[in-house]
Amino acid sequence: MSLALEFRGITKRFPGVLANDAIDMKVEAGHIHAVVGENGAGKTTLMSILFGLYPADAGEILVNGERVRFTSALEAIRAGLGMVHQAFRLFPTLSVADNVVFREEPTRRGMIDRAAGVERVGALAERYGLAVDPRSVVETLPVGVLQRVEILKALYRDARILILDEPTAVLTPQERDKLFEVIRRLSDAGRTILFITHKLGEVMAVSDRVTVLRDGRSVADLVTADTNPTEIARHMTGRQVDLDRRAPAHEAGSAVLTVTDLTVTGRHGRETVKNVSMEVRAGEIVGVAGIAGNGQSEFIEAVTGLRDVPEGSIHLHGNDITTSGVLARRLAGMAYIPEDRHGVGTSHLATVSNNLLLGHQRREGFQNKGWFDRKAVRRHARRLIETYGIRSGPINSPVSTLSGGNLQKVVVAREMSHGAPLLIAEQPTRGVDIAAIEFIHDRLITFRDEGGAVLLVSAELSEIHALSTRILVMFDGRIVAELDPAEVDEAALGYYMTGAHEEALLG
Amino acid sequence: MAEQPLNAPAGLGSKIGNVAGHPALFSLIFAFALGWTIVWLTGGDPWFAYREMFDGAVTGSGLRNTLSRAIPIVGMALAVSVAFRSGVINLGGEGQMVVGGLAGTVVAIYMPGPGQLVIPVAMVVGGLAGALWAMLPALGQTRLRLPILITSLLLNYVARAITGYLVRFRLLDDSVTLTSTEQVPATARMPKIPVFGGVSYSLMLVVVLVIVIWVVYGRSVSGYETRMAGLNGRFARYGGIQVERQTVYVMAVAGAIGGVIGTHMILGDAYRYIDGELVLSGLAWTGLLVALLANNHPLLILVAGLLFSGLQIGGLAMQRNADVSWRLAQVLQALVIVAVASRLTFTWFKRRTDRGVTPGEVEPAGVGEV
Repeated sequence: MSLALEFRGITKRFPGVLANDAIDMKVEAGHIHAVVGENGAGKTTLMSILFGLYPADAGEILVNGERVRFTSALEAIRAGLGMVHQAFRLFPTLSVADNVVFREEPTRRGMIDRAAGVERVGALAERYGLAVDPRSVVETLPVGVLQRVEILKALYRDARILILDEPTAVLTPQERDKLFEVIRRLSDAGRTILFITHKLGEVMAVSDRVTVLRDGRSVADLVTADTNPTEIARHMTGRQVDLDRRAPAHEAGSAVLTVTDLTVTGRHGRETVKNVSMEVRAGEIVGVAGIAGNGQSEFIEAVTGLRDVPEGSIHLHGNDITTSGVLARRLAGMAYIPEDRHGVGTSHLATVSNNLLLGHQRREGFQNKGWFDRKAVRRHARRLIETYGIRSGPINSPVSTLSGGNLQKVVVAREMSHGAPLLIAEQPTRGVDIAAIEFIHDRLITFRDEGGAVLLVSAELSEIHALSTRILVMFDGRIVAELDPAEVDEAALGYYMTGAHEEALLG
Repeated sequence: MAEQPLNAPAGLGSKIGNVAGHPALFSLIFAFALGWTIVWLTGGDPWFAYREMFDGAVTGSGLRNTLSRAIPIVGMALAVSVAFRSGVINLGGEGQMVVGGLAGTVVAIYMPGPGQLVIPVAMVVGGLAGALWAMLPALGQTRLRLPILITSLLLNYVARAITGYLVRFRLLDDSVTLTSTEQVPATARMPKIPVFGGVSYSLMLVVVLVIVIWVVYGRSVSGYETRMAGLNGRFARYGGIQVERQTVYVMAVAGAIGGVIGTHMILGDAYRYIDGELVLSGLAWTGLLVALLANNHPLLILVAGLLFSGLQIGGLAMQRNADVSWRLAQVLQALVIVAVASRLTFTWFKRRTDRGVTPGEVEPAGVGEV
């Protein structure tokens, strides 16, 4: 078979870091080729070079056997490349068809022909089994459908080589399976798929070949059928990894967090959390599963004090904190790893040390009558950096110089070092690499074993499944099921998350 | 992902390096070069004009005038920067200055007693009045969600009107043709330091203020909390910093500094409150420019304040001796700020494209690293 895409000796050096070190990779036409690697392995750099965002220091790229050197993404698109980004780039208020044809609008007598646009997009969607109504407005669509719109955008521009960057991060298991069907169909139609991920299950499920990157080098090129997840993980991390961990069950103690009949009203007076009651006891991890947008974020904001609670009550260790501010809740014993680590969990212009200090700044020992003991503050930062293995420069370098995984460790370290009895962990491992995931999971389990209470919200079902003592499923603002992780598998969880069981009950 | 941060941080050595590579320095060079060209193009002798400007600012009575004018410029720059650094856009420096200034003046005129008592009381009252005035927009924001940016600016006009009314109808000195209060009695005037031909003791006050603020920024919990709020409000709120309450405090401090500076302008400079005089001087706005140029760093504010003061005083000398309009000094000030602003835009753009950092927070790391 012919090669659709070939990288030869691609090298890219940033000050102090060799991001790509003579990477070779061959992608056969019509194949589904997975690229895996931990964060910082060089995946993003390689794709950026391919799309002309910056030039390689050495090496060459061949598309369909011809040497190319793109200087902009536009040139790459003209050459038949299409990229589906992790974060969607769509106009929310426009229709699917308008989004897809943007800048390539079909015209009639110099005017945009919208009917033709709708027709073409509809035909394209049908051909590849992408169930999308071209007339629907983007902002009304669920995430899984938005991704199909992104794929349509690439196909509409006749992308022969489609690059999907971590496409399943935001999908439910059902949506994920549908995406895989689409990918297979595209591959059958002769298109080449480059599938970037760090989830090994997906590599096994959908790819023909897999290239593993580590520390900027391509360390393995494997035929998927001839390998297994453990081998891939070993190549990714450079060591043996145990992939099948389950936190052993644990005796739960008394209630730490008690939420009673909580209702949250969002904008436009819509109820986003409806009458939720739950509790988290000492020594247990309660996992909240749900598709994004079913009230989990609002629920957590209400519990952490970032949002007003119009109805219901929240108790922490028996103290009513329903109307307390963030500070009072933190003092009462709550620590919080927020979902948005860039916008909320850290301040990227502040230093590593200052980021590690937040929430501790009024602690005895750190300050005396409002004046810092600067030695103690520095000790605190150094201790956390060491204990949590945060790879950073000097403690007074801006936190923005840290990689995603290390940034998350900063948040985790800071929040766990409060010694608060309740830890709320929202998407604690989103977008971080396997080593960091393992580490954070270990920390959560240790915390639980020491009698801490954890409220875990995650879109990652495997995470919920592996860590939780109990699983609560949120759908449409309500808790629709409480499940024992030992008794449900991920498929069943996904079933509850879509609200399907309720429809089944209703007949 | 791994390129050097724009604001390479760390120890004292690199902090000095930071200052040298600071956009401010670049801006100054840019402004003076362009000013040079303007004078040259209009047929003047730019080197002569600049030399006259420099001489006028630092020699003879020029030095005294430069130092005297630096007092309110640095003071007002501190007042706005305290707010700016905390993410509070206080544009009400002018109002806070006139309200505080008039209140302090009233005390100085009508309170009996020796100067050692009257002067401090006048300063405190002026500061309190400025603080209360500044708390109005702060409470408006925290209670009623009225943006301080708008209300603090608009309240300047209200402050002008109220003080104008009071001066015209309640405190007017009929013996002069000015719309003005009576003179502050000699005992209640700020004494002068006997150097450079006499500079008001307020200079010491301002220098002390610079140092105190610098230390508070760098070493205190409030300095940390205000800075975190200024860098990322959501982060601060999430960490339990009471941003709303802090906004009120910060505005009170800013207003107090404004009020004290306003009081100084009468007790240490004009000796009578002439309606509209403080507004006309544009000191509050010069202070704002200085705060921008110095990126809210108190020590740099002192430097930049002296520079702008020197520009203004030297500009007058330049007009006298080199026949180049003193407006050139204003042009230079404006150019510096334009350069600072465009440099910020430039770094914002660069960051966004290089690292995918969310735009919106352009203020580089600076003061107050614990």
